[in-house]
Amino acid sequence: MDLLGNLALGFATASTLANVGFCLIGVLLGTLIGVLPGIGATATIAMLLPITFQIGDPVSSLIMLAGIYYGAQYGGSTTAILINMPGESSSAVTAIDGYQMARNGRAGVALATAAIGSFVAGTIATVLIALFAPPLTTIALKFGSAEYCSLMVVGLVMSVALAHGSVVKAIAMVVLGLLLGLVGQDVISGASRLNFGLIQLGDQLNFVAIAVGLFGIAEILRNLEDERTREVLMARVTGLMPTREDFRRMAAPILRGTALGSALGILPGNGAVLAAFASYSIEKRVSDRPEEFGRGALAGVAGPESANNAGAQTSFIPMLTLGIPANPVMALMIGAMIIQGIVPGPNVAAENPALFWGLIASMWIGNLLLIILNLPLIGLWVKLLKVPYYVLFPIIMAFCSIGVYSVNSNVWDLYVVAFFGLLGYFLLKLRCEPAPLLLGFVLGPLLEENLRRAMILSRGDPTTFVTRPISAGLLLLAVAVLVVVFLPSVRRKREEVFVEEE
Amino acid sequence: MKQATFDPTNIICGAFFILVGAVFAWQSLEVELGSWLRIGPGGMPLALSLLLILLGLIILLAALREVGEPVGAIAWRGIVFITLAPIIFGFTVRGLGFVGAVFITALFASFASLRMTPLRALLLSAALAAFSTAVFSYGLGLPFERIGPWLR
Amino acid sequence: MKSLLASIALAGAAFALPHAASAQTYPERTITVVVPFAAGGPTDTVTRLVAESMSKDLGQQVIVENVGGAGGTLGAGRVAQADPDGYTLLLHHIGMSTSATLYRKLPYDTLNAFEYIGLVTDVPMTIVARKDLEPTDLKGLIEYAKANADTVTVANAGIGAASHLCGMMFMSAIETPLVTVPYKGTGPAMTDLLGGQVDIMCDQTTNTTKQIQGGTIKAYAVTSPARLDVLPDVPTAEEAGLPGFQVGIWHGLYAPKGTPAEITERLSKSLQVALKDPNVVARFAELGTAPSPEADATPAALKAKLEAEIARWKPVIEAAGQYAD
Repeated sequence: MDLLGNLALGFATASTLANVGFCLIGVLLGTLIGVLPGIGATATIAMLLPITFQIGDPVSSLIMLAGIYYGAQYGGSTTAILINMPGESSSAVTAIDGYQMARNGRAGVALATAAIGSFVAGTIATVLIALFAPPLTTIALKFGSAEYCSLMVVGLVMSVALAHGSVVKAIAMVVLGLLLGLVGQDVISGASRLNFGLIQLGDQLNFVAIAVGLFGIAEILRNLEDERTREVLMARVTGLMPTREDFRRMAAPILRGTALGSALGILPGNGAVLAAFASYSIEKRVSDRPEEFGRGALAGVAGPESANNAGAQTSFIPMLTLGIPANPVMALMIGAMIIQGIVPGPNVAAENPALFWGLIASMWIGNLLLIILNLPLIGLWVKLLKVPYYVLFPIIMAFCSIGVYSVNSNVWDLYVVAFFGLLGYFLLKLRCEPAPLLLGFVLGPLLEENLRRAMILSRGDPTTFVTRPISAGLLLLAVAVLVVVFLPSVRRKREEVFVEEE
Repeated sequence: MKQATFDPTNIICGAFFILVGAVFAWQSLEVELGSWLRIGPGGMPLALSLLLILLGLIILLAALREVGEPVGAIAWRGIVFITLAPIIFGFTVRGLGFVGAVFITALFASFASLRMTPLRALLLSAALAAFSTAVFSYGLGLPFERIGPWLR
Repeated sequence: MKSLLASIALAGAAFALPHAASAQTYPERTITVVVPFAAGGPTDTVTRLVAESMSKDLGQQVIVENVGGAGGTLGAGRVAQADPDGYTLLLHHIGMSTSATLYRKLPYDTLNAFEYIGLVTDVPMTIVARKDLEPTDLKGLIEYAKANADTVTVANAGIGAASHLCGMMFMSAIETPLVTVPYKGTGPAMTDLLGGQVDIMCDQTTNTTKQIQGGTIKAYAVTSPARLDVLPDVPTAEEAGLPGFQVGIWHGLYAPKGTPAEITERLSKSLQVALKDPNVVARFAELGTAPSPEADATPAALKAKLEAEIARWKPVIEAAGQYAD
């Protein structure tokens, strides 16, 4: 295969002045809209999609759209860190420790870590795509329903590590999330369920509405407690850029996150959502200071952010090699290609080499522009923290209303925001953390749907999960994770018991 | 002050999970449960609901033997104004149109804080409405009517 | 401060605007076409192409609003309740007729809630299978399916999706119920077909053409009356041994009930112009479809189509016994 020739063609296409310009506009627009609180990547792209239709050349418009995607994703992480408002499932993990870092006065470091992690992950993932896209696709196609179901089990087992308080409560939150994820129309039977007869809720509760409610609004309400007696204060901002020590500590998490994200991102059917959560669990497990997690651990930002960006990058693989969208964002990209007169399919690389390789090259250029653009902007974002809170939250409420409403024009999504804001605050008061719930919410429908579909495909034979090699391997992994997670604590418990008996 | 011999927060928490589990269990019985081999739309929700009830019980029972902090202050004023803000947006966006809905939503949310003066709230909301209209409506061309039928 | 004054002035100006749209001066402002599905899907694409062309003819912007959810019934319900002034329209596909039966608690009365503007296009379907499935032609496939009825799997993209409807019609035509495997959307269903996890699917050319051309899946038949230019080697179902098997994902443009006839006529004319726009014709062709002929892009033709399709699908759906609510 003429890899160098292809890459040269790609860079020649992507680095024309016009295309770099479109990429820059895309990255910039994506960042600026995505950084508005409550407006995540999907909403940003849906809003900006029509603009790309105005560009005549399909390559340029796709390059710009891809730029919007990275920009929006980075913008979403920015709001997650600054005001605890994740716009996408992956940045929900960033919010856990990123927001704590911001409260400790290390917002600048958190943002820089996210930017650096994203860039490294993006670069490595781009190389992976260029080298291995076709063979990776073959592996992705081996993932049937049984494999997905087992993968979700691994994810669920790992989710327990997200908690930094009571494990039982964390499990209860995961279960609650799984249940909420099942509200709406059942994919397999078509029946509508658990929605109290409200078909206006649509096929499923809106993810952004839930994330905004549980994280953002609950946090606003917490800040409004004791207003009379307590000044809402962020710690003084100390140092915008990571120190040498910070760099040393983010390196390994970034590489691990990138590997994880690249692997899970290629799975069509949104395997990437697991990447950020899994990365967080792993970092917490391998860290020599696990007690820092949940209180502002650098690795808790570096790992998941890299995983999320690598996954975002490799989720282009199924689209480029098969013409199949791995997630809603890719579905929008395919819509854009069709409007431009390119119907994506297995032959895009052969029929349209300039488009295929140009897009791949532009991914790297996009990531480069993103980091050039954002490192200087960090100072500006951090200044936003100085805006008094009582000015910030009407702004947040207005933007998140617009953002949530713009996706489906469904007023019920707004009522869901309000409801989950209230619920999130209530759960916060009960010392329950929202991240496990959100993970459950994302995994619930995937787990159930794939479990039931696997059973249909195996004609009701449950051994399908252990006789299919990939699925069996994943289940073994889940068992291994369980052992690793629970053995130390079990041993400690037993030791405590023995001490008491003596 | 007498120290409580139980954890009030976790008692509420356990009770909450049990209640939610019960509600979802009742909802899942409305649809077909299916069998082990052909799981119906109600099967998984029912199993999860029962698991949630069990976890709630564990939390509740453990809370009876622990000492914990009380729930603490609650932001009642915030709850009213903040959670109603998106609902108000929902009620007005079709009627008043985009400009009016953004204005009213921001204005309403402003009242959640005691530190906000009415004049500042008005100015902030107007600026937000103008900015959002410029960016989303003119700039991005979101398909919402700027001025709704109530104002025509 | 300046922006505040500007927005007050803007609001003031809006109050001063003349009230109520009249049919003579229509259209005076932006027209919104509601697509009851997510942005980026085939129906959204069809709508955006047509809307762009209609904008030129009407001299006003025609913009697309995506109101997805509940198989298109949320978006349709929204338009059913909108003001009948010609500024809110609906572009819906075959689902308009099937949801009348699939949903037992529909929030609107399908036949009495809308005025008709015209048919837009009729996207053909293809009967496809994983590439290593044994049978080589449609006759062979039918025999194979009948012989292995309890192991042959038919994928679809969810209840009410084009692939679900076509799959039901296929099973009803060969009088053999097969194992139905629902997915959430076309993407995952197609992935499993490519990966050989499921056997058969029947889906729109929009989704299958490139895969067939790329040899990643096997095509047995198209469901249109004639062969398609983009797939010249694939026989029609009629030729290949399923007489009368014609399924198309037809798209229609509607307005809320009570919209003045002059306005729907005007829109119908504009639709006819758009459907002759060379750009629209070319893009439709790439998707494996063609614009509806002028005679079909009329209110009467759409009304007749909707009524006929409701009657056609009702028994098929009732026989399958699967509902979406």
